[in-house]
Amino acid sequence: MQSKINLQKKLGLKLFRHYKDTQTQLHDLKYLFWECTLNCNFNCLHCGSSCGTSQSNDLHYQLIVKELVLIKERIGKNLPHIVITGGEPLMRKDIELFGAEISKLGFTWGMVTNGSLLSHERFSALAESGLTAMTISLDGLKESHNWLRNNILSFDKTISAIKTVLENSSINFDVATCITLKNINELEAIHELLLSLGVKNWRIFTIDPIGRAKVHKELDINGEVLIRTLEFIKKAKKRKQISINYGCDGFLGHFEGEVRDEFYFCKAGINIASILHDGSVGACPNINKQLVQGNILNDSLINIWNKNFQVFRIRDWTKTGQCAACNNYNYCQGNGICLRDLENNKVMKCHSKMIG
Amino acid sequence: MTKNWKRNLIGGLSFTSMLFIFQACYGTPHDVGYDVLVEGIVKSKTTGQPIKGIKVAPYNDMQQVFTDENGNFSFYIFAENGIGLRFEDVDSTQNGGFATKDTILNTFTSQVFVNIDLDNK
Repeated sequence: MQSKINLQKKLGLKLFRHYKDTQTQLHDLKYLFWECTLNCNFNCLHCGSSCGTSQSNDLHYQLIVKELVLIKERIGKNLPHIVITGGEPLMRKDIELFGAEISKLGFTWGMVTNGSLLSHERFSALAESGLTAMTISLDGLKESHNWLRNNILSFDKTISAIKTVLENSSINFDVATCITLKNINELEAIHELLLSLGVKNWRIFTIDPIGRAKVHKELDINGEVLIRTLEFIKKAKKRKQISINYGCDGFLGHFEGEVRDEFYFCKAGINIASILHDGSVGACPNINKQLVQGNILNDSLINIWNKNFQVFRIRDWTKTGQCAACNNYNYCQGNGICLRDLENNKVMKCHSKMIG
Repeated sequence: MTKNWKRNLIGGLSFTSMLFIFQACYGTPHDVGYDVLVEGIVKSKTTGQPIKGIKVAPYNDMQQVFTDENGNFSFYIFAENGIGLRFEDVDSTQNGGFATKDTILNTFTSQVFVNIDLDNK
């Protein structure tokens, strides 16, 4: 069963599809993730990588700077925004050196962090190095956040980090929350908490049914919980107390245009690339490593971006199984690439079907 | 070429690779870049009447749309400072003759509305 989309929204989606096609043809690099390490001070339940359990053989930051110099030479203006991710980026001591160098080159940069290592001093150093954006994860009230983060001190540290950012800076800042069966009943309370802290932007995600989510059933939400989440976002949007959006990972049927500021658009490999911890180049960092497109140790990122990535830009290979029979395929195009089961070439999670 | 990458994609897969997927990726921070709905209306500066058939095209973009019978147009664009738009009368004198006009959009929300008046040639 597919969600019913009204005519007006369909017209909007058709217009948006034209834009998506144009962006796909242009495929300008707008965001570049750098997975600077796999090391992490936490061992979160929802993390499917080897974060926190293995030593990461991190690349020297100068290798990334070298790639950015080449990108600047090739692109000129409208440089991509750099997003540093991990593991936990703040495990590295040289982020400020990297940030300062790329700021001088004209790049803006931000980071995604659990916040636990973000002291006032560290944040000041990052801000002085040109930090322009930051995302901190808060996955519920104290008990549910600490449960997901697998650390009894995590909540207090996260709140402290959020306060540090808001007291000291006017960077683009948002809080990201993963919805689980543990925190679904806390959405209103988290909303109040964020308002009391002065947070202005909040992004809500669901966890994909892969990796450790297969073991921890509380992470694998069903259609009813997804609908409750989306209804909450709709309601919170109307209240306009905080800028709230659902994450980027799926086409949401009749909820499209109501729970995000934009229509769904998986920009992986179209506007987004990543340099992973070992130098391999892909689209978003959470996409199956079988779709790695090259490695900066063998070729430049800008060459890889221009020569490869066809699998992300021509998506008709996703039109199989339930996607082939779906009326919304033209808008959805097989859902996010991060949600594809490549072995069986099918979608692992269809938001539209879950919504009904 | 296309067949090669499809073959590589399907052929190179293994079940174990599917399980090791990094979940803690939260996408790009809000406000860093997003898609903007640009809507507007094009009118004659002389008569104040809407003009049909005006080509509206962002700079450095492959998109182009044409105004409808009410002078309206709409399209999506990636949010960036200093987006240039060109309004061009390309149907000769069918709807009157109008001079080309350029404008720059500097501030963005997720939706913007543009009013454009065109001079007669």
